[in-house]
Amino acid sequence: MNKIIIKEDIIDVLDTNNDIEVLFNSKTEFFDVNSITVNVKTSTNLKIIYESINEIKLDVKINVFENAKLNLVEYRKANTSKIRYQINIYKNAHLYVSKFYDSKSIKEYLICNLLGENANIDYNFKTISKAYEKYDLTIYHHDKNTISNIKNNGVNIKEGNLIFNVSSFVYNGNKNAEVDQKSRIINLTEEKCQINPNLFIDEYDCIANHSAHIGKFSDEEMFYLNSRGINDNDAIKLLITGFLTSNVDEYVKTKINDAILKYWG
Amino acid sequence: MRLEIENLKVKVGDKIILNGFNLVINKGEIHAIMGPNGTGKSTLTKVIMGDPNYEIIDGTITFDGKLLNELKVDERARLGIFLGMQLPLAIEGVTNADFLRTALNTKDGQNFKLMPFIKELDKNVEQLKMKKDMIHRGINEGFSGGERKKNEILQMYMLKPSCVLLDEIDSGLDVDSLKIVGENVYSYAKEYKPCMLLITHYQRLLDYIHPDFVHIMKDGKIVKTGDSSLVKEIEEVGYENIIAGN
Repeated sequence: MNKIIIKEDIIDVLDTNNDIEVLFNSKTEFFDVNSITVNVKTSTNLKIIYESINEIKLDVKINVFENAKLNLVEYRKANTSKIRYQINIYKNAHLYVSKFYDSKSIKEYLICNLLGENANIDYNFKTISKAYEKYDLTIYHHDKNTISNIKNNGVNIKEGNLIFNVSSFVYNGNKNAEVDQKSRIINLTEEKCQINPNLFIDEYDCIANHSAHIGKFSDEEMFYLNSRGINDNDAIKLLITGFLTSNVDEYVKTKINDAILKYWG
Repeated sequence: MRLEIENLKVKVGDKIILNGFNLVINKGEIHAIMGPNGTGKSTLTKVIMGDPNYEIIDGTITFDGKLLNELKVDERARLGIFLGMQLPLAIEGVTNADFLRTALNTKDGQNFKLMPFIKELDKNVEQLKMKKDMIHRGINEGFSGGERKKNEILQMYMLKPSCVLLDEIDSGLDVDSLKIVGENVYSYAKEYKPCMLLITHYQRLLDYIHPDFVHIMKDGKIVKTGDSSLVKEIEEVGYENIIAGN
């Protein structure tokens, strides 16, 4: 599998099958941000791992060109990070994202352009939030028959303050677009969390859904698990495992299980 | 081993649901409670299980000599009480296998062994004619009403409770599934001899599970008790006539 490892200011590209092109621009005196561009022309897999004890600032641009399919797996364990993504998905191209963060403080901006007919993104994001984490995701449907499925799941603990802002745009004339946003935060603290789902739809012939939920696990779920002899702590651990590990890649699942073990024993 | 409920009075909000309810179920006995809608039958099972939405304002529930009133739901379950629910919940992402493994780990502690668990689970899945892949799916996720009820019975077989409460376990079952569920519940009762309480509206379940006692409940208490012939009488003349002639 193609692998990019980002540690402090060092970016390593490993195990590439030459089916992706990776370009760097190191930070300069004037631009205090590293940048990386990934070009994908044939169907492939890519794993991006961020591991840093210092702050990471990075611009990431990913182009998935016509007819290519990219399975993107991401894991981030960093102190603080500010990342900007620009993702361009071209005609008949498909991007599957499966990612999990276990970091201290995060600001992330993601812009996804669905640039050609049948361009498609499936985005599955999971986080355990312990400090300020803000995610701004904006999806532009620039053509017909484009699909975006965005799923954000977060568990908020300690001094966590988790925010998901998700905006989807469908422009007039881009018929048969399908837009789905699902965001859920399990807030195990008294701190404030926010989800702001926005659908900006200027075309009648499209399907657009959103759901947003912030809260603890329901009394009914707890009752069901308790009624089988499972105590509150184990029930919460079980529910968190289910909540965070559904619909994710096996590597991401392993990292999530490690984190659950670390925080919930 | 016996479940004893004495003069139980229960409310939700300001509404009294159970009002002076009494019942004793000895080890190996099967009791069926029938009655019109809204008389407190399902409430009874939830109160025995410890659902915090219901408040006991008077009376006692004891099992095996232990007072249950102040015990939490999981503590009651670990004493051997099991509730098969009328509308079993679906929980996304938590697989049936992980759920049962956690429940058995809690119950058996160090005695829990993975290989015998897998063997027994496979055997019970086959016995209940369930799909084998269900154990790796989320709890009741995408299950039909019948599959959910079978899953409750599967959990009962895995956890081996000594007090079984089944709340309308027959609702939503087609004839074939009803036969499978009914026969499995009855064989469990004969093999493990738990205190068993069934809540049902229909005779059809009792074609497979033969109760020792049948009770009619109205306005939060038992108003008539008989043997299984009472079920036939209910089918023929209805609750109101039986209660009126009580």
